[in-house]
Amino acid sequence: MAAHAPTAPRRRWGSTVAGLLVLAVMLFPLYWMLNTALQPDSGLLQVDPVPPGLDLSGFTKALTDQGGNLLTSLLVSAGAVVICLAIAAPAAYGLARFGLRGSRTIVFGTLITQMVPGIVVANALYTSYVDLGLVNSYAGLMLADASLGIPFSIVLMRSFMVSIPGEVIEAAEIDGAGPVRVFLRVVLPMSRNALITSGLFAFLFAWSDFMFALTLNTTDDVKPVTLGIYQYIGAHVGDWGSVMAAAVLSAVPAAILLVLAQKYIAAGITGGSVK
Amino acid sequence: MTAHPPVAARRPRPGGRARRAVTSLAAAAALLASAALTGCAEQRDDGVYTVLNSSTDETYHRWDAEAMARCGKRLGVTVEQQSVPASQVMTKALRMASSKSLPDVVQFDASEMPVFAEAGGLVDLRTLGLSTDHVPDGIVDFGSYRGTYYGAARSVNTLALFYNKDVLAEAGVRTPATWDELRQAARELTRGKRYGLALSAGGAEDGVFQFTPFMWSNGGDERELDSPEVVEALDFWKALLKDGSLSRSTVNWTQADVNDQFMAGNAAMMINGPWQVETLNSDPDLDWGIAEIPVPEAGADSVAPLGGAVLTVPRTGDEDRQRMAGRIVACLTGEKEQLTYALNSWMVPADERAAAQWRARVPELDALADQVAAARSRTAQVGAGWPAVSLALQSAFQSALTGQSSEAALKRAQQRATSGN
Amino acid sequence: MTTSTVTAPPSDAAPRKDAVPDPARARLRRRLIRWGFVAPAVLFMLLFFGYPLVRNVVMSFQHYTPKTFFTGEAPFNGADNWSSVLQDALFGKALWHTLVFTAGSLLGQFCIGLALAVFFNRRFPLNGVLRSLILLPWLVPMVVSGIVWRRILDQDTGVLNTFLDTLGLGGHTPWLTSPGMALLSVILVNIWIGIPFNMVILYGGLQEIPKELYEAASLDGASAWRAFRSVTLPMLKPVITVVLVLGFMSTVKILDLILALTDGGPADATQTLGTLTYQNSFVELDFGAGAVVGNVLILISAVFAVFYLRANRTEGK
Repeated sequence: MAAHAPTAPRRRWGSTVAGLLVLAVMLFPLYWMLNTALQPDSGLLQVDPVPPGLDLSGFTKALTDQGGNLLTSLLVSAGAVVICLAIAAPAAYGLARFGLRGSRTIVFGTLITQMVPGIVVANALYTSYVDLGLVNSYAGLMLADASLGIPFSIVLMRSFMVSIPGEVIEAAEIDGAGPVRVFLRVVLPMSRNALITSGLFAFLFAWSDFMFALTLNTTDDVKPVTLGIYQYIGAHVGDWGSVMAAAVLSAVPAAILLVLAQKYIAAGITGGSVK
Repeated sequence: MTAHPPVAARRPRPGGRARRAVTSLAAAAALLASAALTGCAEQRDDGVYTVLNSSTDETYHRWDAEAMARCGKRLGVTVEQQSVPASQVMTKALRMASSKSLPDVVQFDASEMPVFAEAGGLVDLRTLGLSTDHVPDGIVDFGSYRGTYYGAARSVNTLALFYNKDVLAEAGVRTPATWDELRQAARELTRGKRYGLALSAGGAEDGVFQFTPFMWSNGGDERELDSPEVVEALDFWKALLKDGSLSRSTVNWTQADVNDQFMAGNAAMMINGPWQVETLNSDPDLDWGIAEIPVPEAGADSVAPLGGAVLTVPRTGDEDRQRMAGRIVACLTGEKEQLTYALNSWMVPADERAAAQWRARVPELDALADQVAAARSRTAQVGAGWPAVSLALQSAFQSALTGQSSEAALKRAQQRATSGN
Repeated sequence: MTTSTVTAPPSDAAPRKDAVPDPARARLRRRLIRWGFVAPAVLFMLLFFGYPLVRNVVMSFQHYTPKTFFTGEAPFNGADNWSSVLQDALFGKALWHTLVFTAGSLLGQFCIGLALAVFFNRRFPLNGVLRSLILLPWLVPMVVSGIVWRRILDQDTGVLNTFLDTLGLGGHTPWLTSPGMALLSVILVNIWIGIPFNMVILYGGLQEIPKELYEAASLDGASAWRAFRSVTLPMLKPVITVVLVLGFMSTVKILDLILALTDGGPADATQTLGTLTYQNSFVELDFGAGAVVGNVLILISAVFAVFYLRANRTEGK
């Protein structure tokens, strides 16, 4: 059943139908989230399977309440992506090509980082953050959120960069380019897919972070939407319309990004890991 | 993770929300512009005092802000508030202690205060000149740990039986006063999707808070969780569940969920607290009444838990600031502020004089005021050991409600509670 | 993932060609520049992972209580924390739940993810659109997914039971409210969350398999299933390892999903090591015990990683 290119058109549409069914099951919870959000007055009992009308009051309310937090999330996640790529891309290149002593240890180290529970990290970071004045700051949360994506990005981009043909780099070096120049002018453009994929992952990790936001803030100055919704549900438990609307809003920016980056992802991930 | 009883879910008024959104938008923009690199100053500003509380909800945040502004004006200082979710106050305060950046005043849930006091983190409020002359002894004890008065309450609350008047009238059921009546009434009121009673037996402080009136009214004690009285109380809960009068989801509900079910018409009665009144009143079609929590036998005393938050002054090491913090607490817990706060939040003022005025203004909550007068504090016996007792108890009633025998579950709870510390 | 990939021999020869007058200084310079690429990442990982790790290990041997936050004193108490945690019946329970949760989640995520990857590897109309849309569950923050699912799975008012009721399948399943069901329900939700990630990566792997291999297999008269077993699986192996290793490490320490869904209940039925370390530290304020549980989590991952690396090495050489 694997990768035979099916020929008969009827069978191909059959696959589409099957695909739609799978999609329906997978997306049902999200549909229900949207559906509940559109019936803000339904209370607990009667949520119709299909919204009877287009009642956007849940969304208006959620937007007024969570709009600022959504912006915070966007800002923090974008910052985390920049930090993540700025740190991970050069490291990935260095580990892929320079044959530095200790490379293997470092790569192994990135694996270890994945074992440390987020709460252990958050707990330890708080004290250092206080000393550095990073508590309740955008920069602090960006740095912490970047840590979620860095190890993954290093590994992903390293595998990708290993597969860049050595001749290309040597050619650039013969033309007199130093390592920094080679990296910026040759390696980065060639690694576009891996960069986009890493960036997307880093964004998603940061976007869904809850633990750092909860731990590294003592005020409401920097409140991403995950924390906002978490507090929201405590305060609005009867108002499911608004809660669900807020939940829908929390998925939208990430969804837009995914659609935009979709075509690069598969290429980015596999470019390296298979070779 | 769920909010603690006294500060649990409330519904904000729709009006004031936009302002906060605008402020946070403005804040975000300002931070963007200034490259957003500096953190909030942790140094203490002369003339600026901070209060850490759990008023994350818009209405409470606003009420507190207004009260603090009034007190600040009177004392010639600026009082700022930092609000975090109720379950986070303790950890936040501890972290701040380790980084020497404690706020000047912390509002703890009274059941948590002993932990902080035992760690040596609080100042004796009497040394700061706070008077307890008009505070009933029970409420002084409520804010005390090992005889020292560390926490001043603005208002207190407790649990009561809320019922849907229409539903009870329709079924011809009288408000139950004893366990038997409650069981009977709940059974009769259970119809279709509607359960007779809703209560919270969730695995958090909410559930424990709700179990205490049953345990205590039956003569049980938190120091002896495996005593027959406690077992009997838990068996009573089990019986309600077995009758089908309680939803099986009870074990997952917070007190806010319970209120939600009651308002949706999924429950004819509920155990809950006065902080829900604001939400209950948001539905004009809901005609609700309130009664004391039923007791095991007719004529027995209904012992309900005393809930609420206390204002404390943590040891910041700066005597002058601590003195001013004491004056801020005194102002916030003064007769006038108490009355304002109590009328807003539907909780009972701690101060006797304020409470008397409050009763006159809110006669429909009379039952609650009586119950508060007889209410018992959770930490009076075990003090800082309460978190361990609470966890053990949660696990016990959850196990019992989902199949285990009450006796076995409570036996294990007692072991766990005593070995924990 | 990493070490499975064969590192290309670094082309050290190239820079040496254009040797500069002072070779020693030039070499030092070059080395510094090269390390400059890697140093920020190493520093970052030491600060954000190394330091917390060490601190957590130290803390697990300390009597770390609320008082410590004031005095800064946390006397060492030997293995007290360890022995009290390991003797606690709840720890054994949580360990077992963690293993069941991890194995169940991985199995479900991986099998369904692989099936979907294979499915989407065929050509059919709307393939691209469907494939993008199916990633959506992955984009919802876990806390939010937890909240949504909690509502769907509600015994009395949840849509799942309402639906089962309409089908006449008895709509009173206590998904999250019975200790017997809760863990299974949490696993099912986690599978739902994990499918897109597994699918994306496995699909990418499938795309890389040269089509000629399948043509050769079908010339040999191999059935589709045989082709899958003899071509797809072996070629996909490196990617499969990546997916499983990453999946294991993120699943074993999961916290936010369970907190949002069940808070570890009912009756500790969904208490895992992740929630236990949280509860020990932040509810009971016994930070030493919390650190112990955190360390056990790290140890489990480490054991897993060692097996993985060893398996890799024997195979690679």
